[in-house]
Amino acid sequence: MKQNSTTLLAITLLWLFSASASLWAQDGSALPTEKEKPAKSGVQFNGLGRTLLQNTDIDGNILEADTGTIRRFTDGEFLLDMQMNATPNDKTEVQTILRLRNEFGGFFGAGMTVEVRELWARGIIADAIEYHIGDMDMVMTPYTFYNFDEEGQINEAAAFMPLREVIHYEQFYHAGNTRRVQGAKLNFGLNFANVLRDAEFMAFIARVRGTDFFTAPSRYTSGGSAIFKTRNLNGDPKGMNATVGLNYVYTFDDRQVTGLNTGMANQVITGNWKAQLLANDDYTVQFVGESGASSIVNRNDSVTLFSAEDGFADLGLKLTLPKHKLTFTGAFIDVGPDFFSIAAQSRRIDLSAEKTYYDRLGTEQSVRQMSFFDMTRDRALYTFELSDRLMPYDPRFSNVLPYGTATPNRRGLRLGAERGSSEEVIEARFDALIASEIRGQGTNELKAFTLLRAATNLNLHQYFDFSRKLRFTLGYQFEDTERGGEPVEQINLTSNLFDLGVEVELFSGFELIAGSKTLVSKGNEYVPRIDEFNVVRDFPRVFTADDREQLFATGIKYTFKEGVYLTIQYHRLASQKGENNPNDFNLNQVFVLYTMSF
Amino acid sequence: MKYVLSTALIIIFFAFGGCKRDTELFDGPSLIDRFGDFDVLEGLSANRETVSFSEGETVQFAAEFNKNVDWIIEITGQTSGAVKRITGFDRIIEASNATWNGGTTDLPFFREENCSVTLRVPEEPEFLGELEITITSPKQYEGSLFIDFETDPGAAIELGNFEFEFSPQTGRRNDIQAAQGEFYYLLEGTDNVVPNFFVGLINISPSVTGNTYAPVPTNVPSQLHFNCFLWHDAGPHCIAVIQFAYDSNNSGSFEDGVDQVFQIEGDYPLNHNGWRHIHHTMADVGMNAEQVEQIVAIRVLLISNNNTQPNPPVAVRFGIDYLTFTQGAKLQL
Repeated sequence: MKQNSTTLLAITLLWLFSASASLWAQDGSALPTEKEKPAKSGVQFNGLGRTLLQNTDIDGNILEADTGTIRRFTDGEFLLDMQMNATPNDKTEVQTILRLRNEFGGFFGAGMTVEVRELWARGIIADAIEYHIGDMDMVMTPYTFYNFDEEGQINEAAAFMPLREVIHYEQFYHAGNTRRVQGAKLNFGLNFANVLRDAEFMAFIARVRGTDFFTAPSRYTSGGSAIFKTRNLNGDPKGMNATVGLNYVYTFDDRQVTGLNTGMANQVITGNWKAQLLANDDYTVQFVGESGASSIVNRNDSVTLFSAEDGFADLGLKLTLPKHKLTFTGAFIDVGPDFFSIAAQSRRIDLSAEKTYYDRLGTEQSVRQMSFFDMTRDRALYTFELSDRLMPYDPRFSNVLPYGTATPNRRGLRLGAERGSSEEVIEARFDALIASEIRGQGTNELKAFTLLRAATNLNLHQYFDFSRKLRFTLGYQFEDTERGGEPVEQINLTSNLFDLGVEVELFSGFELIAGSKTLVSKGNEYVPRIDEFNVVRDFPRVFTADDREQLFATGIKYTFKEGVYLTIQYHRLASQKGENNPNDFNLNQVFVLYTMSF
Repeated sequence: MKYVLSTALIIIFFAFGGCKRDTELFDGPSLIDRFGDFDVLEGLSANRETVSFSEGETVQFAAEFNKNVDWIIEITGQTSGAVKRITGFDRIIEASNATWNGGTTDLPFFREENCSVTLRVPEEPEFLGELEITITSPKQYEGSLFIDFETDPGAAIELGNFEFEFSPQTGRRNDIQAAQGEFYYLLEGTDNVVPNFFVGLINISPSVTGNTYAPVPTNVPSQLHFNCFLWHDAGPHCIAVIQFAYDSNNSGSFEDGVDQVFQIEGDYPLNHNGWRHIHHTMADVGMNAEQVEQIVAIRVLLISNNNTQPNPPVAVRFGIDYLTFTQGAKLQL
């Protein structure tokens, strides 16, 4: 209740402030805020064509007595996404993408599918309010509505990009960490003459799950944001200014319409801001952050089965040195153990999903652990849907922030530094997080986390002034989790992840590409079993790792023109657990990928 | 400065609005309970070596481990073979979770006898705690006893062997361990004279209690529970029927064909081995308040399920013991 009253007070204050400003400052104009305005009347055809053929084989100790697993197979697909965009007038736009897809080996219609991949309409009402109905890509803030990046990649080599792009395209992972939903959205903006420069308002509702008419009611997510930007103080171009946002996401089960008695409701309300405190030609200092609260309640009729409330704070400073092209950030984070934000904590990789190949191995046909090979290739492991529980994760790849920025039960210090751009010889980025749990899991002892990430691009063609690309990419992630206490409570898990890549452009558009991904993970951890929301039910077993995994890739890529390329590559994964483990295996693939965006 | 103040206010409210948390507990089960080594800090003990349950005494067990575990205390009557089990998931075994009031889990009832007590932890098979308890007076069960066959009922039991299909073994016996006391009543026979499912019956008159009608603790049928124990040898063809005769004409004695008879729908198909507690409310047999006050006989029938019997049919049998009425709930063993 305390959080609710606080958020209500904050909303009231914000509303009073903005309303009072509007009374004397609003100039009466209304500007649409959508970046892409509807084009002139007409019909456009665009699309994407893809041919992907993969030959995969497996070997290793685990197959020695396993006679049931095929050693080699070939699969692939041919698909054409036909995008039709129509603008019947300058205020309306509709678009659909029709997909024609044929499995490799499908003849005379067998294995062929035709489906609508995307369908939406948008336009402007009364020259003031933009609407969007149908499929849409939503993103708000990292704590409210955010599709955070998948684990297992730090500045990944270009050799892995083509298959990664296929996964992202299939799962609608677009730039800006958007999440694909189906619903409706309204947004409009206001300009102001004084104090406030402008304000943008957005509201949306989307259905994220249909009912099964037996146990699961339809699930909707809704909400909106109000973003206010101020003018610079005293009109000084480098004077103080601020951007303040208010964000609200409400995800709920519709128990009324479907008549099903049990359902959940998750509310998240946050305020985010970016305030420029100091600025001159040499440096800029900004106060940035986000803070808010969440509530989750699960009811059967009027009986509350489960409820929890919690909050978070992410308070940071950002120092920019434009002359040195350097940016430093530092933030204190405190995300409560019961903070639950369904649209910000749902993972891209679903470890419970069945792999499309070699899901089970060995004489006992046990489930194969997810590897780099799967993460870079298997789109079936990925999802864009919202999960009403904290999804399982693999602590070898991500144990510090398995649920992205909004990972609950973390308190600590986040640091970052960034330098350069792709136009320079060296571009680099460094991030660190030193944190601990707020509430213990299975013990009152708290885990201590250390996360280091470093990424560097060496643009040697810039250094040697080559006309063709010669670039090395490096990425490194170090994760350490420790906990003291009684011997059975102690944890010590360390993971090192290396991403290395090279791109050599031999002649115009023709590149030799190679890359490797290495994971070395050692130690022990307890991975919780979570049955609903973020409630820890059990620790099924002690998770132990003595793993070394390496994925190597090499091949060629020829870019005919932007968006149209052909790549032929060989990938080899070696998965080792300790010394000469009978469960070791290797996976190899040769693939040809032709992609054409038009 | 107006916007700066407003921004600061919003930040302060959000930053500190939700920071009150319960961090004294931890999430999930204790790791020590789940994965820690097992150790016994205090072995099994009891607060007394002899106990008189009939005087309201109880036995309180105690033990202590270093972590929460599933535990089982099993008390076995060395004469009766009765078994009482107390289970839990605790670190400390004490009066609140391990008190024995003389009841039983596996029939028969305990009697005046020595009992062996064991404490086991299933996940630690090497651990075993042991002690002995002597029962000087067994538990007196609540309710209105109708008959327990401990004394010869004489004419209070009328044998209905109309088709001469009962075997000579039918009658009050003590050849096996009775559910309560020494004696029970066995009905045994073969439906081979008149193959009509019916083997035989006994009519038990309330006169065995010294009353005209069966004494009942309440006349509210939904609150009046009938209890008895049925013994069976797990044979596949036997059915037991228990009927309650209402003195329709207020004659004070059972008159077959005149007095109205009630029985539980579906009878009692028997497929168990040993004794079993049978119970139901009198509302379940369809009797009203007036009728339960005038139960003039309880009739027990032995039925041979000829639908499953081989040809020629084999003998069927069951035993019955400790017919009693309780109020509000079934007999608490």
